[in-house]
Amino acid sequence: MKRCMKGKLAAGLAAAAGLSVILSGCGTGEDNGKVTIEIIQSKPETATYFDQVEEEFNATHDDIELIIDSPNDANTILKTRFIREDYPDIIAIGGDINYSNYLDAGMLMDISDYEGLDSIKDAYLDIDKELEFVPMEGVYAVPYVANAAGILYNKDIFDENGWEIPTTWDELTALCEEIQAAGMQPFYFGFKDSWTCLAPWNAISVDLAPSDVCAQVNRGETTFTDNYREVAEKTKSLLEFCQDDPFAYSYNDACTAFARGEAVMFPIGSYAVPQIQSVNPDINIDSFVMPASNDPEENVLNSGNDLQFSVMAECEHKEEAYEVLDFLLEDENLQAYIDDQNAIPCKEGDFDLAPMLDGMKSYIEEGKVVDYQDHHYPSEMSVDAMIQTYLLDDSENATDTFLEKFDREWARYNRDLIQKVQDYMEEHPDAE
Amino acid sequence: MKKKHAMGNREKTFLAITIPIVLLFFCFNTLPLIKGFIYSFTNFKGYGNYDFVGLRNYVDLFSDGRVGRSYLFTFKFALVSTILVNVLSLILALGLNSKIKAKSALRAVYFLPNILGGLVVGYIFSFFFTYILPAAGKAAGIEWLSSSMLSNTKTAWLAIVVVACWQSVAMNTIIYIAGLQTVPEDVYEAGAIDGASGWRKFKNLTFPLIMPFFTINMVLCMKNFLMVFDQIMALTKGGPSQSTESISYLIYQNGMGGGQFGFQSANAVLFFVVIVAISVFQMTVLNKKEEQL
Amino acid sequence: MMKKKVVDHRINWPVTILLIIGCVTIFFPLYMAVIIAFKQPSEMTNDIAGALSLPSAFSFSNFTEAMRVTDFWHSLGNSLMLTIITVILTMLIHSLAGYAIGRSMARSKAYNFVYLYLVSGMFVPFAILMMPLIKQTAQMGIANRAGVVILYVVFYIPMNLLLYTGYLKNIPLALEEAARVDGSTTWHTFWRIIFPIMKPMHATVAVLTALAVWNDVMTPLVIMSGTGLNTLPLAQLNFQTQFGTNYNLAFASYLLALLPILIFYIFCQKQILNGVVNGAVK
Repeated sequence: MKRCMKGKLAAGLAAAAGLSVILSGCGTGEDNGKVTIEIIQSKPETATYFDQVEEEFNATHDDIELIIDSPNDANTILKTRFIREDYPDIIAIGGDINYSNYLDAGMLMDISDYEGLDSIKDAYLDIDKELEFVPMEGVYAVPYVANAAGILYNKDIFDENGWEIPTTWDELTALCEEIQAAGMQPFYFGFKDSWTCLAPWNAISVDLAPSDVCAQVNRGETTFTDNYREVAEKTKSLLEFCQDDPFAYSYNDACTAFARGEAVMFPIGSYAVPQIQSVNPDINIDSFVMPASNDPEENVLNSGNDLQFSVMAECEHKEEAYEVLDFLLEDENLQAYIDDQNAIPCKEGDFDLAPMLDGMKSYIEEGKVVDYQDHHYPSEMSVDAMIQTYLLDDSENATDTFLEKFDREWARYNRDLIQKVQDYMEEHPDAE
Repeated sequence: MKKKHAMGNREKTFLAITIPIVLLFFCFNTLPLIKGFIYSFTNFKGYGNYDFVGLRNYVDLFSDGRVGRSYLFTFKFALVSTILVNVLSLILALGLNSKIKAKSALRAVYFLPNILGGLVVGYIFSFFFTYILPAAGKAAGIEWLSSSMLSNTKTAWLAIVVVACWQSVAMNTIIYIAGLQTVPEDVYEAGAIDGASGWRKFKNLTFPLIMPFFTINMVLCMKNFLMVFDQIMALTKGGPSQSTESISYLIYQNGMGGGQFGFQSANAVLFFVVIVAISVFQMTVLNKKEEQL
Repeated sequence: MMKKKVVDHRINWPVTILLIIGCVTIFFPLYMAVIIAFKQPSEMTNDIAGALSLPSAFSFSNFTEAMRVTDFWHSLGNSLMLTIITVILTMLIHSLAGYAIGRSMARSKAYNFVYLYLVSGMFVPFAILMMPLIKQTAQMGIANRAGVVILYVVFYIPMNLLLYTGYLKNIPLALEEAARVDGSTTWHTFWRIIFPIMKPMHATVAVLTALAVWNDVMTPLVIMSGTGLNTLPLAQLNFQTQFGTNYNLAFASYLLALLPILIFYIFCQKQILNGVVNGAVK
C-alpha cells in the first residue's frame, strides 16, 4: 500500500517537473556566434515598420542579429524589465520625462562618440539637453523623428469659404467667430481623455512661456503663477468655440467628428492624422502653428522628439549597437518611417514631408521649434487632469486656484528633484 | 496506545501538507508584502537608486489631497455599490427562486455578466454612456441624462456604480439563491398558517434564515468594491477632474506608471490595514446580528 | 391538501414576465458589442443611430484582422494552458490544504492561526506585491508561464481554503474513522474518500478559478512581459494605443476573447451554476 502511494507521488513529481519544463518553454536562444542587439521601442503603432526594418537588417547582416520589440504597454514593460535588471541594448522612447528619469538614474550610455550624431539637427539635440534635470556631460540619445502640434484644419472647408490662416491670437478668435457665424463648429475636443487637454495647452505655452520654465522653477527663480496665467486663460477661452460638453467625448470621438467635417479645426498633434484618415481617407488636412501671441514673431512650432534611441549603459556591444543605429538612420529607412507616420525627421537632409505638415514646414526648416512643456512634467503629477479640472471649473477665480495649485503640487511632486537641482547649484555656483 | 500512534500519522501527514503550503504562501505573498512595506520608507521610483526617507511617505499620505479624495471616492463607491448590489440580487434571487417558467434559462442569463472580463465590460459600457444614454436622455427630455454621465464630476461615479453592479449582481444572486434553497418548505407552510405574507414573511422568516449568506455577500462585495480597478481603467481613467480615482487605481497609476513607487507602497500598506479593519468590523457586527436572530 | 398542490404548481407569470424583460439589461450591451464588431470605422458616427443601427454588411473582416493582430490561436493556446493547469493544481493543492487545516483547526491553536494567516491574504492589494514579485520571479528564473501559474496557485489559496474548509464541515468524521480502522493512511484516506466527496466543491473552485485566471490581465502582463508570449486579455491591449483606437477591430477582438468562455458556459451552464451554488451553501 505504502509503496503504491510512493510510486504515485514520484509519478506526480515527475509530471510536475515535466510540466514546469513545458511551461517555461525553451527559454534562452542558442549561441550562434552572432551578437544580438535588442531594441524595445515604445510606439506600438509603428510595429509594422519596425518589423520590416528588423527583417531587412537581419537579411543583410551576418554578424548581428537584431530583435525589435514593440510591446503595447511599453512604459510598464520597460519598467518591469528594469526591475528585473534585464536590460535591452537600445531603447527607443519619446523625449519626455521618462527619458529624463532614466538618464538621471544613470541607465543610459554616453554616446557622444557616435558619428551619426553629426547629421542630427541641433534644435532636436538641444531639446534633449533641456530634458536633463541637472546639466550633464555627453550625449545620451539620438533623436530620430519629431512630431508637431498646432492646429489641424479641414483644407477643403477653408478653401470653400476663403478663410485665411491666422497668424495672431486675435486673428484666430476672429476666425472662430466667423466660422460660428457661418453655422459651423470651429473646434471639436476630446477632453474625456484628459491627455488631450495638453495638446492646446502645450501649443499655447510654447508661444507664451519660456521653454525652460520648469527648470527655472526648480532653480527657484520663478513661479508658474507668473508664467502660466495667460496660457491658462487662453486655453480656457478655446472652450467658447467647441461643441457642447467637450468632456463627454474621447480623443477617438474627436478624431471621428473632425474626419466627418463636424468641426473645421482640431488643436492636436500630427500623430492624430492616421486615426482621422482611418475614418475618412479622403479628407484634405493641413495644419498651422498655434498663434497664441499677437506678435507673429513670438509664435513658434510646438515640436518634440517623438522617438529617439538611447543605448543602455549595460549594453556590451557598443559597436554593433552603433551599426544598428546607422542602419535605422539611413535616409531610405527614415523616409519609410516618415511616410508611415507623417513624422518629421530629426536628421538633416532632403526628406519628403507629409502634405498635412505644409503649413508648418517653414518653421521646421528654420528650426523655430520648442519642445512640449509637458515633457518636463512628472507623470504622477497628472497635469493633464489638473488642466481638465481647471477647464471644468466655472468659478470666477478658477485661474488663481489652478495656478496656485500648480505651484504647490509642483513643489510637492518634485521635492527630491528640486533638492537635487539646488544642491547642484551650490556646487556649481557659476553654472547658468 | 494504538490510537495515539494513528493520531501521530495523521498529525504528520497534516504537517507535511500544511508546511509546504504555508512556505509557498509566505514566499509569494508575505515576503513581497514585507518588501513592499520596506519600500514604503524609501523614495524608490521603481528603478535606479533610492534613499530611505523615514516616515515621510506616511506623513505625506495624510496631507495629500489627491490621496484623501481617492479614499473618499472609493468608500462612497463601495458603500453605495454594496448596498445596491445586495438589494438587487436579493430581489432577483427571490424572483428566480419563485415558481416561474424557464427557470434555469433565466438563471443562466442572469449569471452571464459574471463570466465576462471587467475590462471588456467596461469598454462596452463606456460606449453606452457616451452615445446611447445621452441620446436617449435628449429624446426623453431628461436634462441630466442628455449629456454623458462620464463627463460630469457629479455623475461619473454613478456610471461606475452601474457597471460594477451590472457585473456583480450575478454572483451575489447565485449565492442568495443557494441560500434560499436551504430554507425548508415547511417554514413557509408554518408561516402560511400564521398568516404571514409578503414583506413580513420575508423579513421574519426568510431573511433570518439566509443571514449567513447576507454576511458573506456583504463582506466579499465590500472588499471587491474597495479594490475596484478594471472598471475605472476602462470607463474614466480616474476622470473627470480626478473625481473617480480609486485607491487601487492611484496606487497602480502613480506607483507603476509614475515614479512614486515608494510613496504608493505606503499608500498600499495603509489601504491593506483599512480593508482588514473594515472586513473584521463587518464580520463582528453581522455575526452578532446573526446570533441575535 | 389537493388545493394546496394546485397552488404549488401555478406559474408566477408576473414575475416570469418581469424577469424576461429584465434580460434586456443583460443582452443590450452585448448586442451593442456585436453590432460594432461587424461595422467598418467609416460607418461609425457620434450618435445613437451610428451605435445601434445594423452594419451595412455582415463581413467577418474585422474578426479575421483581429485574429491576426492578436495572434489569436497562440494567445488562445496560452490562455487555455494557464487556465487548465492552474485549475488542476488549485483543486489538488487547495483541497489538500483545506483538509489538513480544516480537520486540525478545531483542536489546534496553531492551525487556527495558519488558517487566519492564509485567509487574510485575501485582503492584500495586488499593487503592493507587484513590484517585489516582478523582481523575485526574475531572480528565481520563473518570469514565465510557470511563474504565473505558481502565483495564481498562491493568490487563490485564501478564497479556496475558505470554500474547502467550509465544505469539509459537512463531511462527517466517521467516514475517515471507518477507513482508518481498515488500516488506511491519512494520505490515502484523503485521496480515496475525501477528495471524491468534495466533488461539488471542486466544481465551484474550478469555475471560480477558471474565470479569474481567464480574465486576468495584470499578472501575465507584469510577469510574462519579455517572453514574447501573450494571453488573450493581454493581446486585447493591442487595441489600446493612445493615438488611435479602432473600436470596430477592438470590439471584434473582445468578442473573440469572450467566445471561448461563452461557448464553455453555454454547454456547461448547469454544472457551473450548480457548482457556484454548492460553494455558497457549503
